[in-house]
Amino acid sequence: MSTLNRKRLSREDAAALQTDLDAVRDSVMNTLGEKDVAHIRRMIRRARGSAIAGRAMIGLGFDPVTFVVGVAALAHAKIVENMEIGHNVMHGQYDWTNDPALNSQRYEWDNVCDAGMWRHFHNYEHHTYTNILGKDRDFGYTILRMSDEQKWHPFFLFQPVWNAILALAFEWGVGGHDIGAERLLDGKMSWKEFKERSRPFHKKIRKQLFKDYVLFPLLTFWNAPRVLLANLLANLIRNLWSYAIIFCGHFPEGTQVFSEADSDNETRGDWYYRQLCGSANIEGSRAFHVLSGHLSHQIEHHLFPDMPAHRYAEIAPQVQAICAKYGIAYNTASFARQYGTVLGKVFRHALPSRRTTPVLAET
Amino acid sequence: MPTPVLPLRLRDHASRMLRSPLLHPLNDADAINDLLALANPRWSLTEIRAEVVGREQQTADTLRFWLRPNRRWKGFRAGQHVAITAEIDGVRHTRVYSLSCDPAVPGLLTLTVKRQADGRVSNWLHDQLRVGSIVTLGDADGDFVLPTHGGPLLLLSAGSGITPMLALLYELRARVRAGDTEQDIVLVHVCRDAGDQIFANEVRELAADWPALRIETWHSASRGRPAPDALLAAVPDYATRDTFLCGPSAFMADIEAHWADRGITERLRLERFGAAPRRLETGDASEVRCARSERIFTTEAGEALLPAAERAGLKPAYGCRIGVCRTCLCHKRGGTVENLVTGERSGNGDEWIRLCVSTPRSDLELEI
Repeated sequence: MSTLNRKRLSREDAAALQTDLDAVRDSVMNTLGEKDVAHIRRMIRRARGSAIAGRAMIGLGFDPVTFVVGVAALAHAKIVENMEIGHNVMHGQYDWTNDPALNSQRYEWDNVCDAGMWRHFHNYEHHTYTNILGKDRDFGYTILRMSDEQKWHPFFLFQPVWNAILALAFEWGVGGHDIGAERLLDGKMSWKEFKERSRPFHKKIRKQLFKDYVLFPLLTFWNAPRVLLANLLANLIRNLWSYAIIFCGHFPEGTQVFSEADSDNETRGDWYYRQLCGSANIEGSRAFHVLSGHLSHQIEHHLFPDMPAHRYAEIAPQVQAICAKYGIAYNTASFARQYGTVLGKVFRHALPSRRTTPVLAET
Repeated sequence: MPTPVLPLRLRDHASRMLRSPLLHPLNDADAINDLLALANPRWSLTEIRAEVVGREQQTADTLRFWLRPNRRWKGFRAGQHVAITAEIDGVRHTRVYSLSCDPAVPGLLTLTVKRQADGRVSNWLHDQLRVGSIVTLGDADGDFVLPTHGGPLLLLSAGSGITPMLALLYELRARVRAGDTEQDIVLVHVCRDAGDQIFANEVRELAADWPALRIETWHSASRGRPAPDALLAAVPDYATRDTFLCGPSAFMADIEAHWADRGITERLRLERFGAAPRRLETGDASEVRCARSERIFTTEAGEALLPAAERAGLKPAYGCRIGVCRTCLCHKRGGTVENLVTGERSGNGDEWIRLCVSTPRSDLELEI
């Protein structure tokens, strides 16, 4: 079944949609202040406190209980730091505070992905060209075929396996994404360029590996194997969690893809429309939203990527009403439903599609 | 006694090792500062934090704050200014104020703040900054300092322009007490009336037992805004004096023009408050490539980079916007810029520049 978006908004609707959504944006952006800063600082304290508690239990404890609780606390710290703090700060959501600790250009997060590379492929490529096949390299992450419009290749037969590997090693996938290794395989990139492009990634890998697998194990050397294992598990849990949340952003049933021509002469209203059609939300409690870095409000995030994310829940009803007004589907469902349909696509598109749809992307 | 070279170098090495990125997050300064602040809000590894220990009304709209900084404060020279950062409804704002205390008295600073009609920071300082509050300061900065040689001096100030002058006077008095030859000093000060005169008592006390210091006051409420000739009638030998000038920009412009007409500009030292010219009349529109955000924007002729970048939708960090606080420091990969305050031209290559006071003199590449 094709998920290609075929309906463009009339010029009047695109202009009106733009006005409506800009008004929602302004209503929040004009009221930014102390409570937004208080929120992100509370999150920073929470992540730090959790990391200190977790690492202390892992390093100083001897029993399985402190091991399990310590791993959970450290994984929790890494999840909050990566999702609610790192991702959002690096989007520039708190640049208006002029606080250097909350500055998008200065922030570096706790995973193997270099912040500079991430800002390029995520802030620029993915948020500008969302779901445009051939331009948004986040669609399928160049190793998965998630729609009929992507050309099939025998490589995709095993994509349930590639999917599982990506889930476990998600930070590595994200970290290496900006290098564009697929162009090396296609012969479109030289070894020299590949090595040049990999340099920031390698630097960040060294830093992260040293921290989690040398520095902290050595700090409590009598417990080194325990610390090493615990840190590995915490990174693994964070990987699985961020993979699951992020895959529910643009791949669930109902999200649509676009062709390169769709972004030609696109107005801001058209761009809003593409974000609405290409993104999906996950329903959940406030705690769940925080742990997802508010990417459970992927639709609102894609409309307003530089709005402090903890405000998304407050504008979601307005966005949903605007969608209804213009007859645009607002894709929201439970985590089980959203992730279930993602997994369904992973299996379905492993096999070639019936030739009913145009091929829009080679990989 | 031999100099202890080795221990110093060891200490240097040790402190560099402690800052190594490999030790992260154990040496995360932001995290450690937050923890230290829980114990004592003045403590910090990296920031100069100061506690307000006194407030004193100087005139109806001017307050003097007494601050006790932590050990990160490295002292200052009389005439210098300091950046103070206030967080107002979640947003950090930085402003610059002259220090008007005696630099020889350690551990106690005074800033004097005049309430500005629409001034976000000056109003906040007046209304919110209480005894016991903590503020963040920058390092002392500025070249409005006394020459080492002791010739006759003219200190020329208007309104709150008196604030750096008081510090200069304290240092001059210290020089006299230390046995230097007495310098002939005239302070010419312009203010609305006696009630509007900042530091009237302090200056009077200094002059009481200091015969070489002469005070000339001009009250504009009764005598009108002074023309330079009339103001300087009391100091006929002004052209032979090293002159220090500070006050509102219109006042400073009059005096500067007067000095320029007589060809004695090199005897004049200036301390500007607020609006220095941050736009040149000359120059060409330039194209600026932003390496990080992969954007290109153009600046209008003679315009500073910061407003041009903001107009293009970029959000570089900034503070004072007048070339003082260095918050907007940005790495330039290539191209030439001119400093709008000093007129200095940069080189063509890798350099750190301040966006708020730099205007392109060629196409540029910046790391924004």
